[in-house]
Amino acid sequence: MNQALTQTETTNIAATPSKRPWFGRRSLDEWSLGGVLIIGVLGLFICVVLPLYTLLSKSVQNSDGQFIGLANFAKFVTTPSLFNSVSNSLWIAFISTIIVTSLSFLTAYAISRTRIPLKNTFRTLLVLPILAPSLLPAISLVYLFGNQGILKELLLGESIYGPIGIVIGSCFWTFPHALMIMLTALANTDARLYESAEALGASPMRTFFTVTLPAAKYGIISVAFVIFTLVITDFGVPKVIGGQFNVLATDIYKQVIGQQNFEMGAAVSVILLLPALLTFATDRWLQRRQSALLTSKAVPWTPPVRPLIDKIFLALMCLVSAFIVSIIAMAVYASLVTFWPYNLSLSLKNYNFDLMDGGGWSAYWNSIQMASYTAIIGTVFIFFQSYLVAKLSGFAVLKWFFHLFAILPLAVPGLVLGLAYIFFFNAPNNPLNGIYGTMTILVICTISHFYTVCHLTATTALKQIDAEFEAVSASLKVPQILTFWRVSLPVCMPAVLDIASYLFVNAMTTVSALVFLYSYNTNLASVAVLNMDEAGDIAPAAAMAVMIMLTCMVARLVHWLLGSVLLKHTQHWRRR
Amino acid sequence: MSSKVSSSAYLELHNIHQSFGSHHALKDVSLQIAEGEFVCFLGPSGCGKTSLLRIIAGLDTPTSGTLLQGGIDITHAPIKHRDFGIVFQSYALFPNLTVADNIAYGLVSQKVSANDRRARVKELLTTVGLSGSDDKYPAQLSGGQQQRVALARALATSPGLLLLDEPLSALDARVRAHLRQEIKQLQEKLGVTTIMVTHDQEEALTMADQIVVMNQGVIEQIGSPQTIYAHPHSPFVAEFVGEMNFLNAEVTGTGQMQSGQLTLHCAPSNTLMLGDHAQLAIRPEDVRFSANQDNLLDHNNTLRAEVIHLEFLGSRVRSLLKLDNHKRPILADISMNEMAHLQLKQGQMVHCQLPQDRLHVFGGAA
Repeated sequence: MNQALTQTETTNIAATPSKRPWFGRRSLDEWSLGGVLIIGVLGLFICVVLPLYTLLSKSVQNSDGQFIGLANFAKFVTTPSLFNSVSNSLWIAFISTIIVTSLSFLTAYAISRTRIPLKNTFRTLLVLPILAPSLLPAISLVYLFGNQGILKELLLGESIYGPIGIVIGSCFWTFPHALMIMLTALANTDARLYESAEALGASPMRTFFTVTLPAAKYGIISVAFVIFTLVITDFGVPKVIGGQFNVLATDIYKQVIGQQNFEMGAAVSVILLLPALLTFATDRWLQRRQSALLTSKAVPWTPPVRPLIDKIFLALMCLVSAFIVSIIAMAVYASLVTFWPYNLSLSLKNYNFDLMDGGGWSAYWNSIQMASYTAIIGTVFIFFQSYLVAKLSGFAVLKWFFHLFAILPLAVPGLVLGLAYIFFFNAPNNPLNGIYGTMTILVICTISHFYTVCHLTATTALKQIDAEFEAVSASLKVPQILTFWRVSLPVCMPAVLDIASYLFVNAMTTVSALVFLYSYNTNLASVAVLNMDEAGDIAPAAAMAVMIMLTCMVARLVHWLLGSVLLKHTQHWRRR
Repeated sequence: MSSKVSSSAYLELHNIHQSFGSHHALKDVSLQIAEGEFVCFLGPSGCGKTSLLRIIAGLDTPTSGTLLQGGIDITHAPIKHRDFGIVFQSYALFPNLTVADNIAYGLVSQKVSANDRRARVKELLTTVGLSGSDDKYPAQLSGGQQQRVALARALATSPGLLLLDEPLSALDARVRAHLRQEIKQLQEKLGVTTIMVTHDQEEALTMADQIVVMNQGVIEQIGSPQTIYAHPHSPFVAEFVGEMNFLNAEVTGTGQMQSGQLTLHCAPSNTLMLGDHAQLAIRPEDVRFSANQDNLLDHNNTLRAEVIHLEFLGSRVRSLLKLDNHKRPILADISMNEMAHLQLKQGQMVHCQLPQDRLHVFGGAA
């Protein structure tokens, strides 16, 4: 019998406990990757946490920087015109939320649960608004229902300038966000549940209320909160079509840009943070609940043939798509008309941006430059940091902080972030003061603004990779960074492209944060739309909005081409 | 031969503790493994076997204790400074690399020349019986083939220690039985010290030189498969490895127990005192049968029982026997040959015997 393998006595001499070395049991390359993670945490701390902290402290200071408690807030509440905008904002956001939530549920249902034809076409059309700045629908509405609008009579004497315009415009640009969440919520079907319901004799109506709706419940709640926040924090649409109807977001703009009242702007920003924080908390809570709902063994469900239901939904889809397409078409048409409404001949006169105020073509090229930097630098930084958080062993405290900082931007409206950046980076005693007014601050702000979604996309993709790759490569004495390069990055390439395209499109279309940060030399296309509209050059504003939209379409096309051509080449291992 | 290697254990674990907050995953685990041995860590899920393997691999750090490989303290050594190859349950093959690139993955950073790499890959593919699959991607291979590639990749750098973390549990039964044999043969051929974690007792019994049975963070028993099966140290081992019937009993004399109305003779125990509670245990295949009491060799430990259920298992029949004055029925296996002779039927009364030399005695009540 082999005697080698026996339980050793506890008094064995070899059993003297060895001390843990000061450098822990990490190898040099693990420490250097940890160093990169530390840089990432510091970066987010400087670019997200500190500006917000500065904003919060500014809201309780007067213009001389003295602490005055909640005086700014008191003044806000007691100024009727300012306080009015709270109820205005809530009212607009509430109506828009109801419309968008129900419409997005119905259209998502049509795409995932019926047998209507042309699903992919509808899907493409319905998410088109995401490629345009939120100012585009507002401009379009001016041409459709404005004082010289072609469909003005449809409003029966009501003015488009005000709540009606804001609601329609808000619904238009927030709709794709809602649709995408809804589609995900409704995609989680389990055919076995439907088969069980049918076998137990449940009517289609009862099946809908006991199976379909509960499964989509969290998606619906999530959509409602997201839309509410998007609408209440958006300022592009109310700026263009709000008329005398004041909302919180335009108040901040007016206080800061118009009256240079930074402290009051900070106070209104803090108020604007509340709905966003509420949404954020709800979303976190929902995600925990939702994950418990999913089972890995779900069997996909194929919708049955229901001629009447299919026809109703097809009609609805046509209607919604037609609405979206006509808003976009109107903007394109308006940008091509020589002089509305007197000379309707088509020309490219309005595209002569250099002849108008607002920044000219250089603003457009600035935007392209800014969006490209954002996409490239942002994707590299975000993906690599997400990789470290997901795959580097140890550093638990650091990772916890990183995750917290990475999630935080989701709760911060762009307008608030932009203002926070002014306060933080424009302070004379800030060593980073030099980047104020440069392209750098625009890129940093945009990356920070859209950080969370990218971080979550990267994290989700990385979590789908086998957790043991790093252990295997370490056992084979391969440095982790090499495994990142040879395995993790290629496997996650689709997600990396998604992130880059998301960043590019958002950098092109966003106005909210950047409107506070651009300078004479770094004027941007989306800001130019706003400024031209303000100056009364509505047609050139429409033209610039169309240029932004076309650029985003090209970006998406490139994304698609890369996805289907390049990826097919590098991802052939996916085929069996 | 065995006494020679005992003096120079290849891997030594001394008083390993691991706790996560108040949960103790491993409690004072000490163990020595000789060079070239195939050792199985066997136990139910949560027994600490995987924690122990992860500590050996350096994926986790023990709360206290020492780990020596070839006489060198590696308790706090980084993974890449340790000498082992590992195969995970999920295989963890890099999906975007070909089979050849997967196997050569560790060789590249060892600065092995391209030609030598190719030769080594070819050699390993032949060893694991996958010649010609060099350019395939993992997704194009079956589960069993992927497992072989993972094994080849782990062996490519000729590690001194091979760690297998439930390597067969994701495969279907037929492939599993086949690979079991292959891995064992390969291990014997290469002579690499191997530790395999498994919850499958059959796997452990067929493959291991030594089995380490673990439960709730402690080692219950270490021994060869034969020893573990024939002489389990505790009711846990007895029940986890193979099947076991238990009878509550009380010590009534030297080598004599009383269980209900039954007086049973067994091997005398030197730890149990008169009047102590104990458990008697017997494996189903050790119960002997007779339709007629006289056919049994001797009359020791015989009893009457009623057949309450019969289950056909192919090569044998499993019967469920209700003993007089015992609540819990016992299992007894009968070979088909014997069955043909006995012609048992449900509800029939039979005589059976619990042979004295096959009875295991464990102290304490159940």
